[in-house]
Amino acid sequence: MDIFADLVMGLSLAITPINLLYLLVGAMVGMIVGVIPGFGPSAGLAILLPVTFGMDPIGAIMMLAAIYYGAMYGGTITSILLNTPGESATVASTFDGFPLAKNGRAGPALVMQAVASFVGGTVGVVLITILAPMFSQVSRSFGPPEYFLLASMGMLTLIVMIGANWKLGCLSALVGFALGTVGVDLETGQGRYTFGSAELIGGIYFIPVAIGLFGLGELFYAFYIGLHRQGAGSIVQFQKEKRFWPDRMDWISTRWTMVRGSILGFVVGVIPGAGATIASLMAYSLERSVSKTPEKFGQGEMAGLVAPETANNAASSGAMIPLLTLGIPGSASTAVLLAAFLLWGLRPGPLFMAQNPELAWGLIASMYLGNMALLAISIFAIPLFVLLLKVPYRLLAPAIVVICALGTFSVHASFIETWLMFAAGIVGFFMRLYGFSPAALVLALVLGPLAEEALRQTMTISRGSFMIFVDRPASLWILALTVVLLGLVPLFQKLSRAAGAAAKAGG
Amino acid sequence: MRIAFLVAVLAGAVFYTYVAFADLGFMTRTGRLGPGFFPRIIGLAMVAIAIWIIADHLRGRDRGAATPGRWSDVASLTGLALGYAVLLWLLGGFLASVVFLLAALSMLNPGRPLQNGALALVLPLAVYLLFDVLLNASMPPGLVPFPI
Repeated sequence: MDIFADLVMGLSLAITPINLLYLLVGAMVGMIVGVIPGFGPSAGLAILLPVTFGMDPIGAIMMLAAIYYGAMYGGTITSILLNTPGESATVASTFDGFPLAKNGRAGPALVMQAVASFVGGTVGVVLITILAPMFSQVSRSFGPPEYFLLASMGMLTLIVMIGANWKLGCLSALVGFALGTVGVDLETGQGRYTFGSAELIGGIYFIPVAIGLFGLGELFYAFYIGLHRQGAGSIVQFQKEKRFWPDRMDWISTRWTMVRGSILGFVVGVIPGAGATIASLMAYSLERSVSKTPEKFGQGEMAGLVAPETANNAASSGAMIPLLTLGIPGSASTAVLLAAFLLWGLRPGPLFMAQNPELAWGLIASMYLGNMALLAISIFAIPLFVLLLKVPYRLLAPAIVVICALGTFSVHASFIETWLMFAAGIVGFFMRLYGFSPAALVLALVLGPLAEEALRQTMTISRGSFMIFVDRPASLWILALTVVLLGLVPLFQKLSRAAGAAAKAGG
Repeated sequence: MRIAFLVAVLAGAVFYTYVAFADLGFMTRTGRLGPGFFPRIIGLAMVAIAIWIIADHLRGRDRGAATPGRWSDVASLTGLALGYAVLLWLLGGFLASVVFLLAALSMLNPGRPLQNGALALVLPLAVYLLFDVLLNASMPPGLVPFPI
């Protein structure tokens, strides 16, 4: 009953004309961000964060969250029509999405992906509504040892999930941790790696690094692979198809797929470090393994599109739970969202929902509305997005550079940060090229200072004994959960690899 | 090229670790963990893993097979972006953006001066209106004073 009353209160805050406008703008921008190849929600959020200055916190957070989950909707349009995923979480959607379009079923595929995204996103928000207060309650007993373990768990799962290149992932995370130590040590007041520069006293700010790595770095990489030299000729022309809407069989054959994808996606999304990409690949693999016709996967099977779509949207909702209730981001995108919260003077964590009920429930309520808006936009604005796909990348690229630079400057009016963003862009290109993980670096840059502070407090409490991590029941539970997760990683990786292999075999 | 990048990372890691050991204390005078505790652990781990990755690379185990690509295009865009970074400081946000867009679009979209010119004016104007007028956020002012 409390939850229902809180949700109604959140809805009353979200349904104001100005907040609805912010929500719609966020949803639309999120979809556009998703449509642009190589330009994921992390980059979109980081670049557009300065745009929210001047708004009230509820409207700003609602808009940023809408950009975050809206990108999941938009990323699939290119997967279906171009065989190019808009971002990594929609890679699995190309496996059957593009074959469906080639078979003359692009219209039904686009509608079904919108519906699947809506179902996944909405189931995710329902689960957030129920579970977030419970998580918040449990996490109130957490102290520094638990926070250190949670931050470590997030980093460990992310690094191990990277798989074959785990060493590069580990090195990326360590570089992020190292950058996180720059600035004045809050406990002793001693400068670390500041080299006498006043600009570095406050540390290396996270936003320029994120914009550089995800925005410029990806842009340079897109140039490297020649995206700017490609035209729009390879877009599947679906406007002349006889049937735009899905038929009865599409709905019937995918109804349980949506349930499975939503639940699996949400669970994977809650795990720090796992994220929407892993969730979508796992859902694809699971769907193929339970299907009576697995040989059709990769050749245009509707369930093969619906499964990853429900999963990646449910996962993006699930990732909000550790962010809101623990203050621990599980992915690069939620790390940017955390930065947005901090920018507004809000500190997500165990007390966040109790101390900021309007904001927390306003955000959750807005996610229901946002998913509804995205469903409508996804279906009725398809021609608009097809038009956007026809804008050559060579025209978009310089515009992205300008927005990255001016967006970075507007945060703190700092030229040093703007130049840092350009430097991060160059480093990000080489990281992307040589298999490093920019996401691990950004996540470590955010989690590093939190982890260091928690570890030092823990060691003070325990007088230097590491036994505190096994003496406290909550710590022991987190340790056990970490061990279980790390044990499950090979299974996750096997399912992800199986999804890729099945798609290749089918296609 | 990959080995050069890895060696650069290793050099950075060695320097980071050196500073952690040379300038930052492991413990404070009161016996608590000092400012060098975390950096020393991170630094040593970075050096160890970087050496491991380089050793793998040299033994041919992990060459990180990067696909062949368009280095010249990346170099051109990087050069333009770095030039833009300097122009922002000199000319300010609006003018620097116009100059950068004109240069970048002339290179990427040759033979269409009208389209390029229009884009180079409209985009910075839109960003100026959004940031400076609508959101009251800062645009780079520039050393040379211009009205916008």
